[in-house]
Amino acid sequence: MNWKRTLGLDNLSEEYAFARDESTGYTSAKKIPDHWVPTTCGYCSVGCGIEIGVKDGHAVSSRPHAAHPVNRNKLCPKGLSEHYIIESENRAKYPLVRKKGKLERVIWEEALSVMAERFRATQAAYGPQALGVLSTGQLVTEEFYALGKLVQLGFGTNNYDGNTTLCMASAVSGYKISFGSDGPPGSYEDMERADVVLLIGANLADNHPILCQYLDANRNKTLIVADPRVSKTAMMADIHLPLKPRSDLALLNGIAHILVRYNLIDRAYVDAHTVGFAELERFLDAYPPERVAEITGLSQETIFKTALLYGRAKAGFIGWTMGVNHSTLGTATVNAICNLALLTGHIGRAGAAPFSITGQCNAMGTRETGFTSSLPGYRKFDNATDRAELAALWNVEESRFPSKRGLAYPDIVEAAVAKKIRALWIIATNPLVSYPNQDVLRHGLSNLDFLVVQDCYHPTPTTELADLVLPAAIWGEKEGTYTNSERRVSKVNKAVEPPGEARSDFDIFLALAEKLGWREELYPGWTTVEDAFNEWRRVSQGRLCDYSGISYAMLAEQGAVQWPLANGETPQATSRLYADGQFQTADGRAKLVCAEWAPFPEQPGGNYPFILNTGRTVEHWHTRTKTKEVPILERLSPRAWLEMNPRDAKRLGLRSHDSVDVVSRRGRVREVELRLTEITAPGQVFMPFHFAETNVNEVTQDAFDPISREPNYKQCAIRVERSLPGANA
Amino acid sequence: MTALPLMESALLSTAAKSLVQIEFEPTPLIPARPLEAGEQYRFHFDMTKCIGCKCCVVACNEQNGNPAEINWRRVGEVEGGHYPHTQRHHLSMGCNHCLEPSCLIGCPVEAYTKDPATGVVLHSADTCIGCQYCVWNCSYGVPQYNAERGIVGKCDMCHNRLGDGMAPACVAACPEGAIAIEIVNVAAWRTDYLAANAPGLPSADDSISTTRVTLPENMVPDTDRVDLQHVQPEHPHWPLVFMLVVTQVSIGAFGVLWLLDLFGQGGGLTLGALASLGLAGVSLAASTLHLGRPIYAWRALKGLRRSWLSREVLTLSLFAGAAGAFAGMLLFDLPGRGVAGFFTVLAGVAGVTCSARIYMVAARPAWFTGYTLAEFFSTALLLGPFFVEMLLTQTPGASSPGWVRFVVAGGAAAQLIVQLLKFLWLSGSEAFELRASSLLLSVRLQALLLARFGVLVVAGILLPLMATGTWTITAAFVAALAGEWLGRYLFFVSVVPKNIAAAFTSGERLAA
Repeated sequence: MNWKRTLGLDNLSEEYAFARDESTGYTSAKKIPDHWVPTTCGYCSVGCGIEIGVKDGHAVSSRPHAAHPVNRNKLCPKGLSEHYIIESENRAKYPLVRKKGKLERVIWEEALSVMAERFRATQAAYGPQALGVLSTGQLVTEEFYALGKLVQLGFGTNNYDGNTTLCMASAVSGYKISFGSDGPPGSYEDMERADVVLLIGANLADNHPILCQYLDANRNKTLIVADPRVSKTAMMADIHLPLKPRSDLALLNGIAHILVRYNLIDRAYVDAHTVGFAELERFLDAYPPERVAEITGLSQETIFKTALLYGRAKAGFIGWTMGVNHSTLGTATVNAICNLALLTGHIGRAGAAPFSITGQCNAMGTRETGFTSSLPGYRKFDNATDRAELAALWNVEESRFPSKRGLAYPDIVEAAVAKKIRALWIIATNPLVSYPNQDVLRHGLSNLDFLVVQDCYHPTPTTELADLVLPAAIWGEKEGTYTNSERRVSKVNKAVEPPGEARSDFDIFLALAEKLGWREELYPGWTTVEDAFNEWRRVSQGRLCDYSGISYAMLAEQGAVQWPLANGETPQATSRLYADGQFQTADGRAKLVCAEWAPFPEQPGGNYPFILNTGRTVEHWHTRTKTKEVPILERLSPRAWLEMNPRDAKRLGLRSHDSVDVVSRRGRVREVELRLTEITAPGQVFMPFHFAETNVNEVTQDAFDPISREPNYKQCAIRVERSLPGANA
Repeated sequence: MTALPLMESALLSTAAKSLVQIEFEPTPLIPARPLEAGEQYRFHFDMTKCIGCKCCVVACNEQNGNPAEINWRRVGEVEGGHYPHTQRHHLSMGCNHCLEPSCLIGCPVEAYTKDPATGVVLHSADTCIGCQYCVWNCSYGVPQYNAERGIVGKCDMCHNRLGDGMAPACVAACPEGAIAIEIVNVAAWRTDYLAANAPGLPSADDSISTTRVTLPENMVPDTDRVDLQHVQPEHPHWPLVFMLVVTQVSIGAFGVLWLLDLFGQGGGLTLGALASLGLAGVSLAASTLHLGRPIYAWRALKGLRRSWLSREVLTLSLFAGAAGAFAGMLLFDLPGRGVAGFFTVLAGVAGVTCSARIYMVAARPAWFTGYTLAEFFSTALLLGPFFVEMLLTQTPGASSPGWVRFVVAGGAAAQLIVQLLKFLWLSGSEAFELRASSLLLSVRLQALLLARFGVLVVAGILLPLMATGTWTITAAFVAALAGEWLGRYLFFVSVVPKNIAAAFTSGERLAA
């Protein structure tokens, strides 16, 4: 007890003092750092430039990096408070091994020995493919590159995937089918240059608020937002298309139908740069406006208006995020988007692009360098030339590369359920919150012989189940690069030391390789992340994602730079893919795809009358392992809620703030706070997915896109019940 | 058939000036010229631009080094219309730097000043004693109490940054350019401040807010706060619950003692006077426990010109002094007691009046009524005579005239009527805050409210009129005292203050 404080002699004036600093201006003295470290934000894939303020070896403040080309001297609320994620009670600080059922602290040497021995033993007993790896979009590119080599060349398993499959896999598959390669064609600047911007299933205002600046700066655009919910972004729109859940593919086909029927297409472009027009034209007969109106719930007039606006635009931009991807028809929907761009020639020009707005800070990095859905450099597993080229670059036997990809994320989980995967390594992701239908996941994980979880935090719902926990350095504690949604490579820098014995993921991969005697072969001469980056530049040279012209020195000097940048080229302010109409297919032509619409798999009815939609809120990030540690974000968004239209609530006798359970065929989320709002249509409900305490993925459906393997998070059938008091006790 | 449009754009072939060059129109977010006479700074909030990202809130907390629970800038939500023609808008609000700042008017220690140069309402952390009276006075919930520091704090428009030509933290952080600092002509604004009103904001009439709000065109008429169902009981302020009731006991007691002495009631009064004086002393001491910085309680006399709190401190101190004189004269049986007693009662009545006026503020509608005055005086009327009656029945040889008990019953009946009428007034009101108060009382606090009514009837009316036993009267007094404490607790917790709209999930979750 401080008696001076109790009497009031002391009012903590030192703690709350202000000071004037040349660079920060007049501000709270404790927030004025000794120096600023420029880096890139570690949350989403907008890729904002940020500076970490360091005082006495501690991260005390965050601010936008004024010179960075992406974020125009702004940050979202998560970025503005990002330094709080670093120093938290819940950081994983020491390696932990499960002994007699309890996680106990061990030294790194022991942790790595246990890991190496158990992985090798499992592989010896059940074959190399019995080891699975679930990675992330959160590491730096250099780490992804190192991890890919370790998993494929070292452990020899291709049962390796990332949480990117829960996120952007449908965009990847769609791009590959339509354009012959992954790689978002456009740039953020296109949102500023387009005269028609169509956003589908993308709530930028909540999820990528910094990108709203590009839309704001575009005074001449017509903004069309297709979303079943009247999201914050829908409210910014000139035209909101409140379509029925998952009817977007029918809408896109309906627009294509009108474009073709009324000759609003760019026939010369179609003839010169695409294949499949004749088939598509026939296929689109099945999507006349009257049918599309019925499927989408939109008026024919609205559909016509949308088609005419996009068709007649000088530069039409289509942006999408999870509303499209989180679907069993995600890949098909991406193809239908690409169809529109190809039919009208709205691609490869300023303002004209189909554009996926990515989720994680470096999902792009893992897509380019990783070994999950393709070989490094967007090389294809099933292309012998690609395999031979990579084998030559690495000086290894081509036979060490499989000719097809291994199991995708949900199939790894299924294989664990079936006991085909016996050991699993989870890196920087938290499936115990994020995976659809948690029951299946828990079953799969409980079947494992050995589970390694490498994370910055402990405990998380996932580390609690681990046999081995590896403590990793977090954003702000390590170096490397992130690549954002618009292919812009941006430097990530170290500001402070990791806590305890936590090490960067890069160091962990190298140490494990060393332990297994693979270091010289996999990582010849590497000592720093820059060594990995320079090898990657060589490996990506001549590919669509060409990094060869980008160096750490250039990034330090010029800020963030977009790929492709061939060796010796000078970076442009903005680059676009396919400006020359040459696509990454054998004949250089893009493919027009006949993408058939179908209703989502679990239709509402009977005991489960509501359609449940899931999504995000601006204050939180993914499974909240990071943002839970930021007091101001927790203050602003302390708990989950369920949005329901008042007309439905009246029927059920429910009121705002009532405690309700959300029940599906797969499970139950207990005691969610009900929010009555006209944002959500009657018959639909919405719930954010960030909260482990009230985890919506207890009830979501484990149905997956047949091509991308992305889950259908956005629609499933549920009912809402008033919670029974004490049922959770 | 259109021409191949691939090369139409010159943008592709023109090399960019520099990678870090950013092209966007700079909108002036802070004034470009200095203030002239008769002008002040104000916030402009553009509701059409705000996307509810809450960057301003985070930036404000970082700028001022505040803990997460204290937010000098807050973002609320309002919603209207029907799906799919739904409208949801956000309100980002700091301090409104009002022309008639109710925080400043109420402050007993003159911790607030309206900066003559900029019009910014400034608060001095060193002068503040943490009485939190400004918190009750502001219709927008702007001043917030920091228990860690024992003082209040609020938005100062980052005027030190403005002075250096830098934007305030909220202005600088907003990605949408929705917040700006403008210059306003004070006289012109005073005649027309309609633009300070918006759905989700209390009326600007209370203090003439200077914040200008740009509203969307075609806002649907039913647009309203989304937090209207989320009504939480307010803080009870225990030291004040104790202090107010006990002070009123003491004042009522001296009233009766003075009358009894005037009418020649012989012995037994001295004990009552000394005990009542003790109550006055205890309650004045206890009241300082309410302060965040009790050692500076004396400063509360500074604001006599404006603050009812200062006036309460003065009148109650005078009451205590006069009561001390009266009690001393009783003890030593000195003449002139009638005059001393008169001044004691006069100061007491003034004290109760000042106490009540503290609470009668526009920002707390359920207090902003004559019922507050009536409630406080009814307490004095019920408990003061009751206290004296109890002591007289306990004192061997002393006796009390019958009218004292009728006064007690009359006080209880008055309190009962006041409370019933107030409840009817609350529940019949159109105003959200008043109706919400009645809902709190009739639902969440129902058992306590009924208990209070029951105590008034039994211990306040029936027992004083019927009971004869010494201990029955004592028990009845204790019950009536407890009933008034309970009543004052309900007074504090059931008030629903005016405030700006909040976000839906703000605050604690309501109990299921």
